[in-house]
Amino acid sequence: MPQTPLIVDQVQASQQSITAILNKIESVVLGKPKECRLALACLLAQGHLLIEDLPGMGKTTLAHVLATTLGLSYQRTQFTNDLLPADVVGFSIFDKETNHFKLHKGPIFNQVVLADEINRASPKTQSALLEAMAEQQVSIDGITHELPIPFFVIATQNPLFHAGTYPLPESQLDRFMMRLSLGFPDLKAEKKILLNTSQRTNKTAPDNKIDNEGVIKQEELIAMQNAVTQVNVSNDVIEYIIALSHVSRRAYSSHSNVTNTIHANTQVNEPEISCKPLSPRASKALLQAAKAMAFIDNRDYVLPDDVQAVFYVVCQHRLEMQPSQQLGSSHANDTSVANKILKCVDVLNPLGHA
Amino acid sequence: MIFFNKKTSSGSVGKAKVNFCLSRKNAWLLWLCQCLNIAVIALELSTWMLAIISLSLAWQALLLHNSRDRIKTRKKEATVKHSNHLKKQQQATIVSPILLGIFALLGCLAIALTAKEVGILASMVHLLCFSYVLKAFELKARRDFYQLLLLGLFVLASSLIFRQDLLFSFITLTLLVINLSVLLQFFSSEKTFATNIKVMAVILGQSTILAVVLFLVFPRLSPFWQMPSAKSAETGLSDTVKPGDIANLSRSTKLAFRADFGQQGIPNYSQLYWRAMVLEDYDGRQWTRIKAALKNTVKQSPSNTFSVNPNDSDIVPLNYQVTVEPSFQKYLFALAPAIASNASNGIRAKSDFTFMSSKIITQAKSYQLSSYLSLPLSLVLSEHSRTVNLNYPEGSNPRLEQMALQLKHNYPDAQARAQAILSRINKQNYSYTLQPPLLINNSLDQFFFDTQAGFCVHYASAFTFIMRASGIPARLVTGYLGGEYNGSNNEDDYSEKGHLSIYQYDAHAWSEIWVKDKGWVRVDPTGAVDPERVNSGWSNELLQEQSKLNNELFSLYQMKNIAWLNSLRLQFDILDYQWTRWVIGFNSKQQYNLLKHWFGKMASWKFALIIAIALVISMVMLMLFLHLFNRSKVKKQPLSKWQLVYQKALGKLAKQGIVKPVAMTVNDFSKQVREQYPELAIVFTRLSVSYNCLSYQILSTDEQLKHIVKIQEQYRDFVQTLKKQP
Repeated sequence: MPQTPLIVDQVQASQQSITAILNKIESVVLGKPKECRLALACLLAQGHLLIEDLPGMGKTTLAHVLATTLGLSYQRTQFTNDLLPADVVGFSIFDKETNHFKLHKGPIFNQVVLADEINRASPKTQSALLEAMAEQQVSIDGITHELPIPFFVIATQNPLFHAGTYPLPESQLDRFMMRLSLGFPDLKAEKKILLNTSQRTNKTAPDNKIDNEGVIKQEELIAMQNAVTQVNVSNDVIEYIIALSHVSRRAYSSHSNVTNTIHANTQVNEPEISCKPLSPRASKALLQAAKAMAFIDNRDYVLPDDVQAVFYVVCQHRLEMQPSQQLGSSHANDTSVANKILKCVDVLNPLGHA
Repeated sequence: MIFFNKKTSSGSVGKAKVNFCLSRKNAWLLWLCQCLNIAVIALELSTWMLAIISLSLAWQALLLHNSRDRIKTRKKEATVKHSNHLKKQQQATIVSPILLGIFALLGCLAIALTAKEVGILASMVHLLCFSYVLKAFELKARRDFYQLLLLGLFVLASSLIFRQDLLFSFITLTLLVINLSVLLQFFSSEKTFATNIKVMAVILGQSTILAVVLFLVFPRLSPFWQMPSAKSAETGLSDTVKPGDIANLSRSTKLAFRADFGQQGIPNYSQLYWRAMVLEDYDGRQWTRIKAALKNTVKQSPSNTFSVNPNDSDIVPLNYQVTVEPSFQKYLFALAPAIASNASNGIRAKSDFTFMSSKIITQAKSYQLSSYLSLPLSLVLSEHSRTVNLNYPEGSNPRLEQMALQLKHNYPDAQARAQAILSRINKQNYSYTLQPPLLINNSLDQFFFDTQAGFCVHYASAFTFIMRASGIPARLVTGYLGGEYNGSNNEDDYSEKGHLSIYQYDAHAWSEIWVKDKGWVRVDPTGAVDPERVNSGWSNELLQEQSKLNNELFSLYQMKNIAWLNSLRLQFDILDYQWTRWVIGFNSKQQYNLLKHWFGKMASWKFALIIAIALVISMVMLMLFLHLFNRSKVKKQPLSKWQLVYQKALGKLAKQGIVKPVAMTVNDFSKQVREQYPELAIVFTRLSVSYNCLSYQILSTDEQLKHIVKIQEQYRDFVQTLKKQP
């Protein structure tokens, strides 16, 4: 297939490093290649990642390995219900010697912030992350501090039915580009995990730690992120994304022509989808994530396949009327709202042109 | 169209038992809608049914109100168990089916028990309203919602059985819009109700074309196209008249009938004695129409009914059209003497110069008459009718009888004798009032000598009695006097014709005495006591009296005295007249005439054919119009060449039994084809790759052209490989 490469060398180099990164991640998070790709796509698309799963499913491991393989500074913060905003953001301390306030930077001043069990913290602390995630900056005592670039928040959360959890507000959920859940490993993977642990206990410490050597450097990561934004998107794919988001808005804006035609396009007998509408920010995130997927697949153009691949993880948490009660893996059951919406839209002719 | 779409979707949803829950706003709107619909028909329902209905509505309002409280309290709690709450809230508005069933059974029983009393139609209406109200308690699925709305429309339609005048029709139409808007609101809940009403009004406006076509050409086959007769007489004249009867009638401002004189001038007010009934039988208390006379007329009709030699050029007939409001009786109105024109059938002329309808008038009915006001009424008096018209129970009113004898002695001439009585009434202290003092046993003596206050019937009865007692054949005639002219006052402007509206308060009674060589002569003793009533209509005192009696907000007196209000009322009356004349009065005969007018005379099968074709054409036109209308809204963006090619390939595959789900991507589908049809795998994958390339890659025009050529080649390959398959 002929391609229009940016610069062949560069692309080849970045493709090699992507394979390397993926190999590294998959060697740690076993048996979850799809989730690993999605997580990487999220970071390449400059989005924040929310990992939701039961305790002990490898959430933190995934977050950790992502940070280290990309060669980023990394700090983990365990969120608890008595965690205060200052604990995350940082605070000023009066220095007696210099007679000045000295800024004590919080864990947020890292390139990758792992907010572990984010939904255990009180909403106040959760919102402390808000500004940081949206603006890439924090204000302490009225002074705005820029955060390092690149900056990611990788948050993990326990399912909401667990005791002592606060649901994340919609506004904050919306700031996470993707919500992943890892799900149980299959037989093979679990066997391997168990074998690995027993080996580790046999040997002494060093192998226990994931080696902190990054596979790529920061500059490479930024270059890759830029390359992702330059992935071509054809009109058809844009229309596909628009159609998807309009289906979710159907109940809210029936006056728009687009929705009507999609409505007419999709069968009348299709059951009503009750969901929250997707915001333009969601569509943007969807497009960006799809681009990243295309980039990981070594393509310089986006296919509807890419959109479909990321649609569930990007949109499900923005669509749900209430937080899901059961845990699904990232490509979850057919009854999920996201999948219902996907089924509504004609890939070849999303806006229903005559 | 929309409605049908929704209906089909409802079917599947109903089966799926999707949790159905109206939004609070919608629920209240529906409730309000129910209240309004019931209010329209409330007059026809008996009190106990109204009580039940209002109880149910109040109960429902209470349930709705409670459900709000519940939401409020729950919002404070965590939202974790949200779905459970929704269910509970839903249950809150649903009453247990057993309770409802018992209630329904009891109601039906009550309706069945009272059915004999109120009549079949009324009991059916009761049942309808009862079910309409109860249905609202079990809104479990969308299906129920539709049923409820349809029932509402049915209630509205059935309210039209009872009243059809313009104002009421307008109210019903407005309610129809509101009802449908509630339906629309359900589907576009994010819009305000006002905009939904607007949309609905526009949609209904568009559908008027169809309605008009159906109205004009839809065949009105009599067994199906009949309005059930709803009521018995409510207001209007009756067969028997006691003194004091008509005074009650004159409180009513309801319309009795209208007369349209066309291009002719309208006769003087004092000429407008609209004859309805002749009452010849007096039993000392009340005047009754003779039933036997009816049979007589049938036998004698050829000789006895009025006829005019058309060649008699001296007399110019006064032609006019009368449109009667439903009176639920048979009598009609005419200016005697008159003959019915040939076009009006279903009308019988009687020997006493009145007209009868062959059927009870349940709908507005119009007929053509020609009157010859200057001609005398029957110069010959049969022996039978002489005895009837001289008959009176002797001793019933001794003082009057005595006076009659005296008068007979003093005035041998019949007309002079009549004049003497009139002048006595005029000179003595008689008064004309709507509130006559109560008479014991309807004694005319008491009226004439003691109370000396009464309404037209009092005077006419007393006069007739005296005449009979003094040996002159006399009889009481009831009908209407005068009428209100509505139209341009400009004498020259005949193009804008006006009409006379005659209301119930124009009801009148007068007498006729038989004078040799002059026939029956009309004598109106009311003219002696209140000349204004006879010459120009109600006097102000009477109007004031009436407004006091009626205690209405807009009494006739006020209406007539406030100029703009009066002109408004007259304008509305014109509209209502046209409505009655052209819409309600449009019956199968008129329809036939209209079509005859358009297409000429024809056989009935041709007629039916034309109707059928017209219907089909109008439907097709409508569909076409809607189709084009909807299409033009979608931005036309033709499919590109490669899309067409790929679609064609998909079509071929579909014939082979592989159908691509709409949501499946091209790559995924080519994978599926690879698995199911390994033979096609290579060609189809190539085609898919090219398609992807063309659709999703950014290509220059040259490259695009190359690819298009390529994809066409690949398509040909694909078709060939497909053909090779068995």
